[in-house]
Amino acid sequence: MLAYFFRRILLTIPTFVALMFATFVAIRLVPGDPVEVRVGEHGMSPERLAMFRHELGLDLPVWKQFLSYVWQLLHGDFGTSLSTQQKVLTEFLTLFPATLELSFFALMFALLIGLPTGVIAAVRRGSYFDQALMSLATIGYSMPIFWWGLLLIMFVAVNLGLTPVSGRIDLIQYYFEPVTGFMTIDALLSDQPGAFLDALHHLVLPAVVLGTVPLAVIARMTRSSMLEVLSEDYVRTARAKGLSPLRVIGLHALRNALLPVVTVIGLQTSALLAGAVLTETIFSWPGVGKWLIDSISRRDYPALQGGVMLVSTVVILVNVMVDLLYGAINPRILHGR
Amino acid sequence: MKAITFAGLGLAALLFGSTAVEAKTLVYCSEGSPENFTPAINTTGTSFDAARPVYNRLTEFKRGTTIVGPGLAESWDISDGGKTIVFHLRKGVKFHSVKDFKPTRDFNADDVLFSFNRQWKPDSPYFKISGGKYDYFNDMDMPSLLDTIEKKDDYTIVMKLKTANVAILANLAMDFASIASAEYADFLLKKGTPEQFDQVPVGTGPFSFVAYQKDAVIRFKANKDYWGEKPLVDDLVYAITPDATARYAKLKAGECHINAYPRPADLPEMQKDSSLKVISASGLNIAFWAFNTTKPPFDKKEVRQALTMAIDKDAIIKDVYLGAGQPAKTLIPSTMWSYNDKIVDYPYDPEKAKAALKAAGVTTPLDIDLWYMPVQRPYNPNGKRIGEMMQADLAKIGVNAKLVTYEWGEYRKRAQNGEDITAQLGWTGDNGDPDNFFFLDGCTDGKPASNNIPKWCNAEFNDLLVKARVIPDQAGRAKLYERMQEIEHDEAPEFLIAHSTVFETMRANVTGYKQSPLGTHTFEGVDIQ
Repeated sequence: MLAYFFRRILLTIPTFVALMFATFVAIRLVPGDPVEVRVGEHGMSPERLAMFRHELGLDLPVWKQFLSYVWQLLHGDFGTSLSTQQKVLTEFLTLFPATLELSFFALMFALLIGLPTGVIAAVRRGSYFDQALMSLATIGYSMPIFWWGLLLIMFVAVNLGLTPVSGRIDLIQYYFEPVTGFMTIDALLSDQPGAFLDALHHLVLPAVVLGTVPLAVIARMTRSSMLEVLSEDYVRTARAKGLSPLRVIGLHALRNALLPVVTVIGLQTSALLAGAVLTETIFSWPGVGKWLIDSISRRDYPALQGGVMLVSTVVILVNVMVDLLYGAINPRILHGR
Repeated sequence: MKAITFAGLGLAALLFGSTAVEAKTLVYCSEGSPENFTPAINTTGTSFDAARPVYNRLTEFKRGTTIVGPGLAESWDISDGGKTIVFHLRKGVKFHSVKDFKPTRDFNADDVLFSFNRQWKPDSPYFKISGGKYDYFNDMDMPSLLDTIEKKDDYTIVMKLKTANVAILANLAMDFASIASAEYADFLLKKGTPEQFDQVPVGTGPFSFVAYQKDAVIRFKANKDYWGEKPLVDDLVYAITPDATARYAKLKAGECHINAYPRPADLPEMQKDSSLKVISASGLNIAFWAFNTTKPPFDKKEVRQALTMAIDKDAIIKDVYLGAGQPAKTLIPSTMWSYNDKIVDYPYDPEKAKAALKAAGVTTPLDIDLWYMPVQRPYNPNGKRIGEMMQADLAKIGVNAKLVTYEWGEYRKRAQNGEDITAQLGWTGDNGDPDNFFFLDGCTDGKPASNNIPKWCNAEFNDLLVKARVIPDQAGRAKLYERMQEIEHDEAPEFLIAHSTVFETMRANVTGYKQSPLGTHTFEGVDIQ
């Protein structure tokens, strides 16, 4: 197990190097540099342009810039944002809990609905229920997130008034200093009556929007995996032994069907963390997705490079954890069989 | 009966008591996060809006106008032909307190010196803090305008200029010239955390800073000791909401009271909603299509006038600005003092244009390049679409315009260098002073790169431009600017397209809000009914 763990960690090194290079090159391929995007209608004298480029090291050959960036990273320094002058790591740590909290609730929503739905659809294969659920899953999978978010805001929040429009808490009613960065936990710690429920209330729409695609994927995957398992001999044996249908499905079939579903959940977790950009923008959710988009438009090289590296680290770690979990569930993987 | 009366009184006391203590919170749905809270090192309207509640300046724009009035300077005397300005500072002005800093003294001349020296003098201990880029201080030519700023006594500042320019009083009302606490700066320097100066601001403004969470919220509370127009609410909250549709939804749901930058497409619906108010004003900007007057045939004013008559301006405003623009007939919008309303715009008349072109000795078909802007700006919603409409209009008089563009930075650089033959560009005013617009068409003493895109140099126009900088009274200056607009109209160095209309939306129960022609958002004097 330990050897497998180290092998898996070693395998992430080339991924990091490739990421470092790709982010570094990609942002430089976008026209305009951090100095140019600051220039308004006034223009800037060539001397000032040259001075700022020199200060930021942008006048050095690109390979030298890359090497100094790698050197910085090796020293654990993710750099300083050019627009806010804050440490990239500090900014990331301030914003990441919001993304993590949203992703967690979105995943819970996807799992709590996706798993049972997939199981029921498999058990009632070919029924109207199955067909309706799978059609909905296809719609959910292909849902344009931006449109879906705005539709829910307009209908659920504005017309029906059932949820708040956006944000993480009622800004007029509640105010407390962030402690953990997780609004639900901070609301509990604040001791302000109603704050926790209000934070949960604010999570409903964004979690539904962000969780829609994973919900569809998990439901479909659970269904197909269950169908495969349900036709296995051991399930037939369990049924022949006279076990209750609930026990056959819940204990014998589902446990085995979960194996590929765990992988999908792992992949979806990575996708949630990395892909919350649109949801965060629509719901004014102060997470890392929006921060990275802003960094691109400001050509904030350090924030973007550092941010991508940090998000990638989390995504890679999640993948490693899923791999380890998978290895624990299915020992054949550990032994390379 | 007695019991009922007491119960009634008790209930009334409870009701009135509760309303009396309930804090009034004004929520402004802003469009983004600030870079930091020091206007001197910022360039975006979003960042200026975020710091403005906290700070004051020596001079201030009268709320809702571009008129410059007293601020932290109660009055000033101009002498030495406009080259010396003596500012008499306001006494008894308190700085805000923040979590770990309590001011021990009132505002005085040291704070003025500190605020300007930080941007101007490399030996200021704060010069390099937070990157040390003072774009606006440099853009407004302050280093070449200022000779010295000295403290005569605690409440008197003497500012000496290298060249006379009364428009500097408007510069001083701009955000970059905000006055911060020198005592706070020293305190942080000693503490070893000078960067905090730009993250937790301390000023003398109508609201004091409470907290900021990136991409989420900025909180302020009313400054009860404020020397100026008192805030009418207890708390001010900026709910950072980047998506315009979400901002509209929040406004509709009552989650915010005032909404920044509504989407033009939402305006008709907003105007129909009785729970909302929509106000609008001409933006302090101009979009134009400049003719390079150093290159034939545009060195002849008759050719420029001909092309000016060939373009259907109203169609552009209807189709590209979706009606949210005002046809421009001079460089400055009608909300600015010295606007010359007597000028009659050139008519859209292709036949007359064709004849004028022929009379000017130009043979058609004439091939020209038409540079269109590759980006959207407040004054130009779609450069390419405007270019295409111009191209179609020009074809009618025998002018074949080839559409050309470059990456924005490159585009601006090349246009400033005069590499174009005709190019779209525009301007957003900084300080509401006409000089801040008319300098665009001033002579540049042969310098190649300048904001004078048509490269037009008219001796009379330039002479008046320079004269207007030394006349202290506004009425006297206005006369010169009115004349300059006549010259500019006759010479037609640019085809003036439009001033965009700026809309603002709020809940119907918001009172006292005044739209600023400068595009800024201020909340003192604003109340919720």
